[in-house]
Amino acid sequence: MAGATDFVAAQKANRRNTLILLIALTVLAALFGYLIGWVFQSETSDEVAAVSSFGLAAAAAMAIASIGWSGLSLAFGSRLVNAMAEAREIRKEDAPQLFNVVEEMSIAAGVPMPKVRVMETDALNAFASGTSLSNASIAVTRGLMNSLNRDELQGVVAHEMSHIANLDTRYMTVVGVTVGLIALVADMILRTLQWGSFSGSRRDDDKKSSGTGILVIVLIVVAILAPIAAKAVQMAVSRQREYLADATSVQFTRNPNGLIQALTKLAAAAAPFPGVSRATQHLFIVNPIQTFTEKSLALMATHPDVADRIARLRNLGV
Amino acid sequence: MTTWIVLGIVVLIGLWLIMTYNGLVGGRTQAQTAWSQIDVQLKRRHDLIPNLVQVVKDAMGYEQETLTKVIQARNAAVAAGAAGPAQSAPAEAALSQATRGLFALVESYPQLKANDNVKQLQEELTTTENKIAFARQFYNDSVASYNVRRQSFPAVLAAASLGFGPMELFNMPETEREVPKVALR
Repeated sequence: MAGATDFVAAQKANRRNTLILLIALTVLAALFGYLIGWVFQSETSDEVAAVSSFGLAAAAAMAIASIGWSGLSLAFGSRLVNAMAEAREIRKEDAPQLFNVVEEMSIAAGVPMPKVRVMETDALNAFASGTSLSNASIAVTRGLMNSLNRDELQGVVAHEMSHIANLDTRYMTVVGVTVGLIALVADMILRTLQWGSFSGSRRDDDKKSSGTGILVIVLIVVAILAPIAAKAVQMAVSRQREYLADATSVQFTRNPNGLIQALTKLAAAAAPFPGVSRATQHLFIVNPIQTFTEKSLALMATHPDVADRIARLRNLGV
Repeated sequence: MTTWIVLGIVVLIGLWLIMTYNGLVGGRTQAQTAWSQIDVQLKRRHDLIPNLVQVVKDAMGYEQETLTKVIQARNAAVAAGAAGPAQSAPAEAALSQATRGLFALVESYPQLKANDNVKQLQEELTTTENKIAFARQFYNDSVASYNVRRQSFPAVLAAASLGFGPMELFNMPETEREVPKVALR
């Protein structure tokens, strides 16, 4: 009944999740740092110390790096994303209907009017960005504006508006940074081990204790599994957000057919999206890289299958 | 010991009052902001309609019955606008109905459909109609959740004495769903 409270609750949950994610990221990065320092110290000295000074220093460095990186990405992330997608800000005179539709949806969502952007490509897609309600923006492609009618455009814009109203845009920015940092750290560990065992082989082999060997194996396993697990979590979160945004979109427009028809057109469109980056693919309304016809299987899909999304929309019974 | 217990209870009641008050203020402010948005869009519609009617009249060369009806409905809505949500709702609903008649008229005349001024004004009026509907939707959702909040236990114990009365919904009569009939000539 009280529709307004639903996305207020979603906003709260997302704020909390963002904070938990930030803390987990920092702890994880510090742990990685400690492991690296520990292994490094054990390799260069004769005994394995329980508390490694190298490890503590590396842990502190990693914690500072992760906090700094998160802060930077929250401050500049949306500007970077829009620059990467070449999404140019427009005024009302440039595309009155698009501008009007965005205005309508901002009223329906009760959020401030976001910036409106256009990407000059024939591909059909759209994405939302922004780390707060006040610096949000919605970008659509020229192809989308040309091939959708007013109701369909409204459905797509409502989907993007619900990402903004639910604060998904901020959440996904932090998730993207987390996954990037974990991948980078894992890469660093593997390189460090390569280099460490290299220097180790030049030393007398019986001086190396068995404790170091176990540590090295643990590190290799962690370094290989952590990025995969992090990526799987990111994609699962992303798919859930898409379903939620579809449902919220209908809550705004009270017209599921607009979004259903739009998704059908988006899935059928063959126009390629040149120059789109894998780093931003999870932000779009449909995945700009994947081919839509094949069922988006397994853990690594950023988006649920379009047919599945349409089936869920039909079941909303509005 | 007893003094501390009494003091503790007083502090707890004080904290609860503050939280209840803040929650209700937040809900009421959201609803009031939503109402001002409806108000802005209703005024915008009142301003746009005479322009569109004039452009259509120029394009057609004579004043059609639909146009007169739209202007009458618009003037009635402007007059009712000062009285508040419940009073202006029927007049605004009648205006929505008349506007749909105007759109249907435009659709049935090719020379009107092709006219750039008409197209532009039609898009502006369409978006204004939509904004009114969405603002009303958001206002009603906000009012509903505010009313639920002030009537829920335990907030109901304090809401009235803190000065939080019920708010009224903005309901347009169901006639707005009907398809308008257009008399050609």
